Amino acid sequence: MKFYFITFRSVTFAQRGEKVLNGGGFRCTLQRTPRWMEEQGCGYALRLWTKDVTPAVELLRENQVPLRKVYAQRGDGQLEELTV
Amino acid sequence: MIYLDNGATSFHKPPAVYRAVERAMRTCANPGRGGYGAAMEASRQVYSCREEAAALFDCQPEQIALTTSCTHGLNIAIRSLVKPGGRVVVSGFEHNAVTRPLHALQAEIHVAGRKLFDWEDTLESFDRALKQGADAAVFTHVSNVFGYILPVEELAALCRDRGIPFVIDAAQSAGALPVKLKALGADFIAMPGHKGLLGPQGTGLLLCAGQVQPLLYGGTGSASMDQNMPDYLPDRLEAGTLNVPGIAGLAEGLRFLKRMGTEQVFRTEHRQLERCVAGLRRLGMEVFAGEHQAATVSFRPGMDCEEAARMLAERNIAVRAGLHCAPFAHESAGTLQTGTVRVSFGHDADNTQTDAFLRAASKLPRFRQ
Repeated sequence: MKFYFITFRSVTFAQRGEKVLNGGGFRCTLQRTPRWMEEQGCGYALRLWTKDVTPAVELLRENQVPLRKVYAQRGDGQLEELTV
Repeated sequence: MIYLDNGATSFHKPPAVYRAVERAMRTCANPGRGGYGAAMEASRQVYSCREEAAALFDCQPEQIALTTSCTHGLNIAIRSLVKPGGRVVVSGFEHNAVTRPLHALQAEIHVAGRKLFDWEDTLESFDRALKQGADAAVFTHVSNVFGYILPVEELAALCRDRGIPFVIDAAQSAGALPVKLKALGADFIAMPGHKGLLGPQGTGLLLCAGQVQPLLYGGTGSASMDQNMPDYLPDRLEAGTLNVPGIAGLAEGLRFLKRMGTEQVFRTEHRQLERCVAGLRRLGMEVFAGEHQAATVSFRPGMDCEEAARMLAERNIAVRAGLHCAPFAHESAGTLQTGTVRVSFGHDADNTQTDAFLRAASKLPRFRQ
């Protein structure tokens, strides 16, 4: 299990994502996107605690929730952007 | 007070609405602006309202722009679709919330369908007008003066067939009649939050399927580095701080409607409409009633309509008189010079209210027995 961040352009998209993921059995919490992750400034993200983020991303896409980026926590605790 | 002015605003809200407004004022900060508890709670309240509305109106939560009124939403919709001087087809029963924004754009307004309660006339007139092409069509679902329910599904089909974008003004229908964004294929549907949806004043919804142009520019809590407004909904249309207490109240109004069912609301209101029309006719009033009528009826009392409304108010009856911000509708019905007295029922309509009104109406000077 590890932490992931899925970022969104707006709080509304992030909230819809939260509902979709919770409905799909994923544990996630809504929070502000860390500033360095969002070059446009100001956004919301879902912090996700799961084994594999891919099914979560697929679920969001199936439900047409537009997401921006996905980050994973590495073993050293740093976050890196993933291509999913 | 016997309140029969639901066409202007619903007055008796479900108790949960009042509670939600106060709770939001005490617990909510600015939605979409912070990550702390009170800001997140505000965001939850706002999103919850979008979800309730999306379920009722057949769209996605982000297709719902939260506005301050139906007029606000109509202005956005019209500004998004109509170029200055553009040709627009409207019904003969439009409110100034539609016609004034068009006038401000110096639009060429083509009025189609002037006959009250006559679907054939409405549809034939629209068909003829749309054949000549238009930037957009804008039509009300229900006349705010006469309660005439326009054939919106058929009008929507005419517009879709001709590829003409269209806007529906659901000010008088939302909460009592089916309003479905996806099924109708409308570009925009505007509605107030404080009438049939039973929310507080200062709330409204704009359902968006078309390309939108912002009316207001400013902070949205998103994409702050970009000096252009976001190109996604609902942020594109929601600059500035939202009316969170009002929106929380509106969410409770929507939940109440979900429980009661809009069909039941319509049946409740319509029973009283029929009772009222029959009673007014017995009194010898000139009543504007017909097939395809929602919970609003206009009548001429045989005296100045404003005086009649004043006299009714003295007997604790709340109705509205005059032109009801809809000169086009009065022109269509031939009542522009006199105006009318309008009675409009709400979700809590009952025989007691209607009979109290009819008793008071029977005391108006011309009809005093």
